[in-house]
Amino acid sequence: MANIEIEGKIFDVDGDGFLSAPETWNEEVASLFARYDGIPELSDKHWAIVRIIRRNFIEKGMAPMIRTICQETGIKLREIYELFPLGPARGACRVAGLPKPDGCV
Amino acid sequence: MEKLSEIQIRQGLSVFTNLTDNKLLTHLNSCVHCGLCAESCLYFLKTRDDRFTPAHKADIVSSVYRRYNTVTGRLFPKLVNAREMNMDTASEMVDLLFGACTMCGRCTMHCSIGVDIGFLVKTGRSMLSNMGLVPATLQSTIKAALESGNNMSIPVDELTSTLQWMEEELTDEVNNPEARIPVNEPGKNILYTLNPREPKFFPLSISAMAKIFFAARESWTLSTRMYDVTNYAYFTGNPGESKLIAARLWQEMDTLKAGKLVLAECGHGSRALRWESPNYMKAHFPFKVETSVETIARYLHQGRIRLDPEKIRKTVTLHDPCNLVRNGGIINEQRYILKRFIASFVEMTPNGADNFCCGGGGGQLAMSEYNDRRMKIAEIKADQIRKTGARIVVTPCHNCVDQLTQINVTYKLGIQVKTLAEIVADALILE
Repeated sequence: MANIEIEGKIFDVDGDGFLSAPETWNEEVASLFARYDGIPELSDKHWAIVRIIRRNFIEKGMAPMIRTICQETGIKLREIYELFPLGPARGACRVAGLPKPDGCV
Repeated sequence: MEKLSEIQIRQGLSVFTNLTDNKLLTHLNSCVHCGLCAESCLYFLKTRDDRFTPAHKADIVSSVYRRYNTVTGRLFPKLVNAREMNMDTASEMVDLLFGACTMCGRCTMHCSIGVDIGFLVKTGRSMLSNMGLVPATLQSTIKAALESGNNMSIPVDELTSTLQWMEEELTDEVNNPEARIPVNEPGKNILYTLNPREPKFFPLSISAMAKIFFAARESWTLSTRMYDVTNYAYFTGNPGESKLIAARLWQEMDTLKAGKLVLAECGHGSRALRWESPNYMKAHFPFKVETSVETIARYLHQGRIRLDPEKIRKTVTLHDPCNLVRNGGIINEQRYILKRFIASFVEMTPNGADNFCCGGGGGQLAMSEYNDRRMKIAEIKADQIRKTGARIVVTPCHNCVDQLTQINVTYKLGIQVKTLAEIVADALILE
C-alpha cells in the first residue's frame, strides 16, 4: 500500500498507482489520475472508454476486453493506444479506478 | 511479525535435499566473492547498494544451506556466516530475490568462475514458494492461470469473439477471405499460442502473425481451449505448478494432432516451454517446438514471405528479451529478419547475449510492490534506447513491450514499441 498526491489530494494506491479502493472512484479521481499520467484533459472519447471499463468492472468484476471497448465506443483500436499512451491496462483501467489486471501488463 | 511454522521451514529447506543431481550443491559452494558480478546487475548499477550485488543474493541462499546442511554451520553458524531460516531471513529473501532480481541472468554470464547465480536465485524463490511466501500479486497471476486456463481469466466466448473480430479486420485489410484465424482445427502443421494480454488488450499482434501465416501459406490453428504461452510459475520456481501449466499445451498438441508448437513472442514462456518443460514433464518432446521468431526467420530464408525494404523509413532498434536471447540462444534470427528490410537499423550497446534487461523480467511487471524500483532500474534501458536515436523499438516479448511502453512514458523517449510480428506484418509483400 502506498499513496500518491495529485494537486493536493491524497489517494491510497497499490505500488503501481492503481486505486486501492475502487468504490471510492469518481470523475474527479479520473481527471486527476489522467493528469498525473500526462493527459491534461479527458476528452469525450476518453470518457467513453473510461465509462465502458467502469461499467464492465461493476457488472463482471474485471476489465472488459479491448474488443468490447472498441465496439461499444466506436473508437478504432489504434486510436485507443494514442488516447492512453500507457495502454488500456496501465492507462485506461487505472484512470477508471480498477485494480491492476493480472498478467504481463 | 508472524513466526514461520515448523512445517513451513521444513518445506523451505527441502529444496536442499530433494535433489536429482549435484548441480545445486556445486553452485551453492563455489562463489569466490570476487565481486565482478556487481557491475552486471541493473539493481546494483542504479543504486550502488551492496545488498543488491548478485553474489549477496546468492549468498543468502547458501547461508541457509550451510546452517542446516554442513557440520560447521550446524555447530558454529556464526563462524561460517550460516543463517537460520526464520521470518527475518525469509523477509530479506523475498525483498532481494523477488523484489530486486529480474532473473535476467546477466550476472551468471559475467561470473568469473561460472556460478549459475540465476539458478541460485530461482532456488531461493522455490524455497519461498514452498513456504507460501510468494508476493501476492505474482501468485494471483499463477492462480488465474491454474483456475481459468489463462493468466488473465479470459472467458472462452470473449476470446472467440476477439479472434473473429481480428479475422474480419485482417480479411478486410488484405482483401482476401482466405486470410483467416483458424480455431481448434485438428491435423494442422502448426498450433500457435498467445500471450493472454494479446486478446485482452493488444490484439494487433494476433492479426499480424495471422497475416504472416497467410502470406507463407501456412497450415495453422489456434486453440481456444489452451493457448496461453506464459508460465508464471517459472518465476516462483514452483515445479509442480510449472508442470501443470506446461502440461496443458503438451496435451493440446496431442488433442489437435498438430505437427509443431509455435510459441508467441514471450521470453519467459518460451524458456519455460521450450527449454524447461521436458524437465518438468520428465520426458522428451513428443512434438516439434519453435519460437515464432525462428518461424518468421525460416519463412524469410525459404522465400515463403517477402518484405518491402521501402516500407519502414524510421530508425529501428532491437531490445533483446533476456530469456529468449541470453538464456535461450535465439540471438541471430531477429537480426536476420530486421536487416532484410529495415533500412536504418541500429543496435543498442551492449546487445545480444550481453544486453541489459528492460527491468520488467522475472515477474517484476506483475509485482506492484516493487514498481518504484522497477522504474528506477529501467533508466539504464531508457538511456540505451535514447543513444540509438531510434524511433521504433522492436522486441519479441510482450512482457518487454509493456515495460518499454512504461519506460517510454516515464522517460519521455517518444518511441513506438512493436513486436517482431507487427513490424514484419507492416512490410509484408502480398502476391
